[in-house]
This record gives sequence, structure tokens and C-alpha cells, in this order.
Amino acid sequence: MTTVESPATRQYPPTYRPSTLQRILPFAIAAVVPFVLGATTGDVVFWWKALITVVVLAVVARLAWKWTPRGELTHREDMRLWRTPGDRSWAAATTFGLLVLPFILASDFTPPMDFPWATWFAVVNLVLIFAMGAAAFNLLVGYSGQISLAHVAFLALGSIVGGIVGVQWSGGNMWLALPAAAVAGAVVGAISGLPALRLKHLYLLLATFGFHFVMMLVWREYLQEYFGFVGIRFKGENSPRIASWLHWLPGIDPDQNGEFVITGQFRWYWVIMPITVLSILFMVNVVRTREGRAFAAVRDRDVSASLLGINVARSKLMAFAVSSAVVAMSGTLASFYIGSRGEDSFNVQTVLNYAIIIVVGGFSSIQGAIFGSAFFWFLPEWFKWAREELWFVRDIDFLSDYPSEIDLAIKGFLVVVILMFKPDGLAGMWRDCKGWLGRRLAGSSR
Amino acid sequence: MLLAFGNFTADPSVNLQFLIGGLALGAIYAVVALGFVLVYKSTDVLNLAHGEFLMLGAYFALTFLVSENLNFFLGVFVLLLVMLVFGLLVHYGIMRRMVGQGFFAIVLITLGIATIIRALLLIFYGPTERARLDLLPQGSFEIGGATVRHVDIIIFAVVAACVLLFFAFFKYTRLGLHMRAVADDIEAAAAMGIDPDKVYAMTWAAAMVMAGLGGLLFGHVTGAIDRSIEAIGLRAFPAAVVGGLTSLGGSIVGGLVVGIIEQFANGHLGTKWREPVAFSVMFIVLLVRPNGLWGRKDLERV
Repeated sequence: MTTVESPATRQYPPTYRPSTLQRILPFAIAAVVPFVLGATTGDVVFWWKALITVVVLAVVARLAWKWTPRGELTHREDMRLWRTPGDRSWAAATTFGLLVLPFILASDFTPPMDFPWATWFAVVNLVLIFAMGAAAFNLLVGYSGQISLAHVAFLALGSIVGGIVGVQWSGGNMWLALPAAAVAGAVVGAISGLPALRLKHLYLLLATFGFHFVMMLVWREYLQEYFGFVGIRFKGENSPRIASWLHWLPGIDPDQNGEFVITGQFRWYWVIMPITVLSILFMVNVVRTREGRAFAAVRDRDVSASLLGINVARSKLMAFAVSSAVVAMSGTLASFYIGSRGEDSFNVQTVLNYAIIIVVGGFSSIQGAIFGSAFFWFLPEWFKWAREELWFVRDIDFLSDYPSEIDLAIKGFLVVVILMFKPDGLAGMWRDCKGWLGRRLAGSSR
Repeated sequence: MLLAFGNFTADPSVNLQFLIGGLALGAIYAVVALGFVLVYKSTDVLNLAHGEFLMLGAYFALTFLVSENLNFFLGVFVLLLVMLVFGLLVHYGIMRRMVGQGFFAIVLITLGIATIIRALLLIFYGPTERARLDLLPQGSFEIGGATVRHVDIIIFAVVAACVLLFFAFFKYTRLGLHMRAVADDIEAAAAMGIDPDKVYAMTWAAAMVMAGLGGLLFGHVTGAIDRSIEAIGLRAFPAAVVGGLTSLGGSIVGGLVVGIIEQFANGHLGTKWREPVAFSVMFIVLLVRPNGLWGRKDLERV
């Protein structure tokens, strides 16, 4: 009797389970090496450190790839956030990159052609703050399908809460203001989501836009009542500090007067980066829970979602509350980071900027929010550098006469072109690249 | 108190002045709302760039009528012709590819167009503000202690004429019939031999011509022509929505209602209350009648 191999009896890869140590080790290396590199100083070691960085990046990515559970997986392993070798590899590389980046940017290395290394640190911090807000926007608009333009209203709410709790009550306690902003954002967000129970699409968009104007009125009144035309100052005596009982932590050396003020890009990075990463992880995980799947079901068809036993009203309000809480937090964080917020800090152009970020990055993808905000902040910086340094751009007077206008035109043009030809934006291009690379690699190994 | 209220006055001549100012503002809102309604009625697109189209119209009016100093009627003709060409460009260059895309994607693409227009106007006209237009009669007369400008009456007449013209156009012409058919059911209309592409192009051209006219008229009543006049597009939203986004007559009624309410809020409560009050009125109307006062109801099948 001969056996015929059918697709049904195809060989699966053998089950492989790395040990706990093997699962942790790549991430441990990624977490420790940057600090070791950052602690070593001296001019000569710079190129050695650069070499070690590249090598460690490759090793960490490779090890995380290799030590991934394969074959027959338990349900728990199948439900992990980073499931495939590629996911784990990227996660380890990103961990390493996020930790090593501030040390690179803070080093006194000057790149060739006056590449604006130092100014990019501020941009990186802004990118992180905006990525957090834009990801929350995407969660609401793209993933839950509740069209809202009230986004900037919640940034303003975050600034108001930062002003009341962080400045007026506690004289610069950001750690009190952030949770307060999250709570206020969730409550006000749920209230602003009430029209979503009755209105849809276009009319919901207009209703939330009305909420934007109401919030702008509240913001202006609040400013004039307590701060006048100069606006709220979140710096100087109101700068956030690390509480004195935390001064024993490694890497925290109090300043002359015994306080550790969060100031300068390097210190801010270590505050902003964890908050952004945690809130983005939070949103990625919300999407994977029962509640998050309910969001998607309501987006696709609310009537059929209700037939599946989903409480549609609760789901819609929950989407508004979660998104607004994160946005309000990012508003507070941005206020403290930027240092002052005035009458014209929030306007219709800000709404447009967030729209540009999510369109260019990729609609309805949290990853896209990160790409989009990086693009949005790096484009002007790169363009500025190109106008000053690149020989074939430097000589065009037209470009240096209208720098910010051309930035604006490029952004608008990109929004139009991306929506026309590549609706899933930079995140979609990234996926395409990965797919192409994967096919190439699979093809060559066959 | 956080929100300070202004002083109410019962002086009839002041209130009459507010009423007349409201009617004048309402007429401008009606011009803008008519542009929204035209596009939304037949292409189902909410055109957030309409304020920028209007700004484009105002700046072109500056170029043709003030800088080039053309004869008034020739200048207006050239202005409207250029706007018509721009409308065709917007359709054939961009919006044509977006038919059938998601609703929010189309809203965002109009925002992208708005950004481009704003940037280009800044590049070619610069950020300096220009004096407002003074081509229409500038005088004014008094009724019961309130001043009425001649310009406001002209604007009112032009808007009323436009609405009547569009009514007649939709009712009696073949193209108007096609537009209504496409708005009703694009597939059925296409099966009947109507070319939706052409109809959409005509719609965008008509909306652009309306924006050109609106820019010309608004250029006469705004404080100065600069890049902030595109805000009129956003401020006219409540007008368009209160009237119902698919109703031509609704846009004029909505414009007048919102204009009067805004002027009274402006006069009695202060400028900062203008937009919140207008949008609150819109919000209340939406909660009571989700499609506006005269809007078309869309049935949804599951």
C-alpha cells in the first residue's frame, strides 16, 4: 500500500519551546547594554560604542527571532502580543533602540554636513507625545469608527487640568496632574460621546466639532480668569520635579538646591518615553480584549453588534472615554514639556495637524500614528537642513523664501496623494516592504 | 464665575441693529451654505475646503478687479470662469478617484485640499492683509435708528436670486434632473444612461462658481482680506446643518436663523460666545431632527 502525501498531512514545523531564560535574555540585553554604553565616556570610545550598538542591535533581533515558541502552541502562547519571530525581533530591536537613542542624541558627536543632531532631540520628544495623542485619535476614529473632530478639545482639557491641578493647586506636580487629566478626560469624553448614541458619520463629526468650539470658549475663559494674556507657565517655578523620596534611584543626581527638576531634552525623554510606550501598549491591548473587539463590531454594523449581545451604547461611550483619557494625558504632558500654553495654542489648524498625522501615517492603525507623527515633525527639520546644506536645494531661492508655507503645501499635497493612491499610508507601505522582504527571503531559502 | 455674562439691553434700536446685522451675516452664511449644500446634495461629500475656495475667490477678485482693474462685469465673468476651471480641476484631478471611498477619507481629502490652497495663497499673495473690496455701492441708510448698508441688500438679493436660479435649474433643466437622479441613486442613474462623472464635474464647477461669487461678496463686508477669512467656511457650518444639508431653501433659512442668533449672542453676550452659541443651536437641531430642518432622510437597511 502506498501513501499519497496530501495537503492534509503536511508536515508542521516541530514544536519548539525556548526556556524562560531564553525568552527573557534578548530583552534583558536590550535593556541593559544601552545604560552600560551610556555610562562609559571619552572621545576615543565613540566609534567603538557605535560599533557595539550596531552589533548588539543585530544580536538582540536575531536571538529574539530564534527563541520564539513554534509549532503546536498553547492557547496562551497563541494569544501573545508578540507572537511570531518577526514580532519578537522587532519588539527587542525597538526596546534597544528606544533606550539607546537618548544616549546617541546627547553625545557630542557632530554628524557630517551639519546634520542638526541636537535639535532633533526636541523633535523626538514631540514625536513621542504626538504619537500618543494620534494613536488615541486613531483608536476612536479608525478602530471604533466614531468620527470625532473634538480631539484638540481634549488636548485643551489636558492643559486646563494641568493648569488647575498641576500649577494652581500643587505648583508643578505633574505626577498628580497626569492621572487627574486621565480621569477628567474619561468623564468629559464619555459626555462628549453622548451625541454618538443618536448621530452618525457626518452629523456626529459636526456635533463633535461644536464641542471643540465650546471647549475653546472654556479654555479662553479659564485663561483670562486666572492667567491673563500671557497664558499658563508650566516652566520655571512650575517645572515638574522628581519627588525627593525617589532621589535614591540610580541616575538621579539632585541639582544644587537638592531638587531634581525635569528639564532639558535628556531628562524629559526618560519621562515622556515610558508614558508614551505604556499608553500605546495599553491601547494595543485594549484592541485585543473583548471590549476592543466590541468597538470593531460596532464600527462595522451597530445593529448586528447589538444582535451579538454587545451593549452598543456602552461600547461607544467606552471608546470615547478611553480615547479621550489618553488624549487629555498627552495634552497635560505636552503642556508641561512645551512649557507654556496661551490663547492661541489650540486652534483649527491643530485639528488639521492631527488629521494630517493620521492620514499620512495610516488610517486606523496605531502603528500609523507613530509613523505619521514622526513624519509630521521630522519633515520640517529635514527640509530646513536640506535648504541650508544640500547644494542642489540651497540655490533655489524660492524654497528658502517660503519655508513654512512650502512645508504646509507638502503636507497637504501628501494627504491628498496618500488618500488617492495609498489609503493605508506609511503603515501600509511598511507592511508592503515587510511582505516583499519576507517573500524574497522565503524565495531564496527555497 | 468662570463664564462671565455680558449685559442685556432692551433698547429697541440696538436690537433692531442686531437684527439687521444678523440678516446681513445670515445672507453671507446662506451663500456659503449653498456651496456646501450643492456639493453634498449630489456627490455626498462634505466639503470642508469650501472656506478656502471662498478665500480663493476673494483673492482672485482682488487680482482681477483691483490689481488688473478690469471692467466690473468682465472681471466678475473672468473670476467665475477661473473658478469654474478650478472646480473641474478639483473633480477630474482628485475627487473623481475618491468616489466610493469611506466617508471620513473624503472629508480628510477635502482638508488636504484646504491645506494646499491655504499654503499656495500664502506663497503667492503673502501674509499681508489687503483692504476690503469697494466695487459695490458703499452707502447706507437708516431705518428706526439702525443702519442698513447697501452692500447687505445687494448680497441678500444675489443670494435670493441664486437660490431661485438653482431651484429652477434643478426643476426644469435636463442637467438638473440628472443631478437629482444621481443624488438619489447613483447606480440606477448610471443604468439609465446618465454619466455620473459629468454630473459630479458640473456639481464641483457650480460649487466653485458659488464660492467665487461668495468670495466677491464677502470681500466687501469682511474687515480686511487676509488668510483668516477662510474661517467663514467653518462658521457657516451650523447654517448649512440647521437648514438641512440637502435642502437649497433650507440653506437660506438656516443662514438667516444662525446669522441672527449669532449677532444677538455677539451683541448681548460678547464675541467669544458667537461660535459656541451657533454650534449649540446646530447641536440642538441635530438632536431633535438628525437630518436638519429640511434634510433628506436616509433609510438604512441592515
